[in-house]
Amino acid sequence: MIGQSATLMVCLIAALLAPLGVSEFWVFVFIEMLVFALYAVSFNLLLGYGGMLAFGHAVFFGIGAYAVAILIKKAGFGAFNATLLSPVISGVAGAIVGYFCIRLSGIYLGMLTFAFQMLTYTVVLKSYGFTGGDDGLSGLAVSGFASTPRGFYYVTLAVVSVSLLLLWRLVNSPFGLALQAQRGNPRRSLALGINVSLHRWMTFVVAAFFAGLAGGLFALANQSVFPGWLNWTAAAAPIVMTILGGMNTFFGPVVGSVIYVLMQTWLTGMTEYWALFLGVAIILIVMLLPNGVMGLWQGRHHD
Amino acid sequence: MELLSAFDWIGNPVAITRQFMAGLANGMLLFLVAAGLSLIFGVSRIVNFAHGGIFMLGAYFTYTVVNLLGSSIYSFVLALIVSTATTFLFGVAFEMLCLRRIYRSPQAFQLLVTFGLVLILGDAVRLIWGREENSIEIPALLNGIVRPFGVSFPVYRIALFVIGLAICLGMWALIYRSRWGMFVRAATVDREMLQALGVDVRRLFTTVFGLGAALAGLAGGLAAPILAVGPGLHAQVLIDAFVVVVIGGMGSLPGALAGALLVGQANAFGTLAFPTLAIVVPFIVMTILLIVRPWGLLGKPE
Repeated sequence: MIGQSATLMVCLIAALLAPLGVSEFWVFVFIEMLVFALYAVSFNLLLGYGGMLAFGHAVFFGIGAYAVAILIKKAGFGAFNATLLSPVISGVAGAIVGYFCIRLSGIYLGMLTFAFQMLTYTVVLKSYGFTGGDDGLSGLAVSGFASTPRGFYYVTLAVVSVSLLLLWRLVNSPFGLALQAQRGNPRRSLALGINVSLHRWMTFVVAAFFAGLAGGLFALANQSVFPGWLNWTAAAAPIVMTILGGMNTFFGPVVGSVIYVLMQTWLTGMTEYWALFLGVAIILIVMLLPNGVMGLWQGRHHD
Repeated sequence: MELLSAFDWIGNPVAITRQFMAGLANGMLLFLVAAGLSLIFGVSRIVNFAHGGIFMLGAYFTYTVVNLLGSSIYSFVLALIVSTATTFLFGVAFEMLCLRRIYRSPQAFQLLVTFGLVLILGDAVRLIWGREENSIEIPALLNGIVRPFGVSFPVYRIALFVIGLAICLGMWALIYRSRWGMFVRAATVDREMLQALGVDVRRLFTTVFGLGAALAGLAGGLAAPILAVGPGLHAQVLIDAFVVVVIGGMGSLPGALAGALLVGQANAFGTLAFPTLAIVVPFIVMTILLIVRPWGLLGKPE
């Protein structure tokens, strides 16, 4: 096996060179990969590290996206300040949602995050004057270096890399280890003096923060937001990417997002019925690759 | 509509009764869908996102059969039988081919498999039946309006209520009075123990999933004459059924009935009184209930 830091360097160099010499279409595809990588890793903080199946995680991505759009369109913020503020807003949402969710376990926790997602979706859909309702909001212009697709790619790459570095430090810190300990055995962790609910709650806040950042970036990349990002069908994307790459490793969701975006781009370009093939692919992956692509690569279990 | 202002109906017993009956009929349909969802969750702990898709399949099968044979009460009944049987087989096949292999996997995997099926079904109906919305007529025998006590009711709504009630009773007998139902209830409490006692739990899971799917398929067939049968049909049904199951308690059949009747009424009156708020309220209720009473109104805490 190649050394981890060497692999990372190769990936980073590849990411730096990726947008050169390709069409703008592919630059956008690469931006999407980066954004979804951050989104999926933030989700895996809850699922893989915290053992919390928050299947309404799209609510934070959507709140981040709408925060950017509303701050720019309705409050006159610049794109930069709006993007700085949006993860804070979704982090606050994470604190509220998490406060109620961490008391629940298993599927009930998932259902409650999902209920929050659907609640937010219907509110967004009905607040026409504020959110544009069905139509969403468009015309989110970015100025300066990030206004070209390649410029925006590099800004996104920088933001996502720094975020992943912070998250990597977090999961390997005492906080992250305690979080993993409570996943395995909450009662024992409690007996060892770990404040289990505080760890779970903080994880919600951090995961929501970075999902919101990803959502904000995605809104700027698309120059618009759509309520569909909050609808129930949007809930699956982070789970698919995480399981696809492997939920037992930090970089699994990153690999998953790259493959997911490639697969979706390829299928949507090929056939009108791409969702059919995506559905078949999802089922096959879940049944044939229980440890994800990373599990296949490593050839052993990380449990 | 004579109900020009949002609250005119309050002093109007005729309007209230009609709205109540409409809510009752829809509640019964919703019960069929939610009962299957709840039953499947209770036994296998799987939240079946594809349940709305199976409902949609039932509606399309009914549409196809009625369309082929011409509208009559016989073709409609035959169509319902075909829908129920096909969705039963579909559920059994899906359980045996996919779900059976991942019961021991993390819950995220089970969620994804049913979600994959949602994507497949959504596109498959588009591929087979096209994008446009189809409709079938209510069979002549059940079409029309009766006027008991001076209130006019569509006959079909009354028929839906009666059929729903009959199935409800049948379900009650099956779950609470048959040996199979005893196993189902036991599996909801402790599957390992049931297996240790020598019950073939694998087959039980398969039949439960089949029955749940068949109920959704039947509901889809019954709803076909009053809904637009189109590729987007599954979404609203699924979300409504989720709300019902959470309100009633996941895994609880009486809860599913109570939840379905409540949501049916809430939809009937909510859309009259607060058209904008009506789609938000169910999720507010769902959220609050999950916070204060996650096991639902009639479920039991785990």
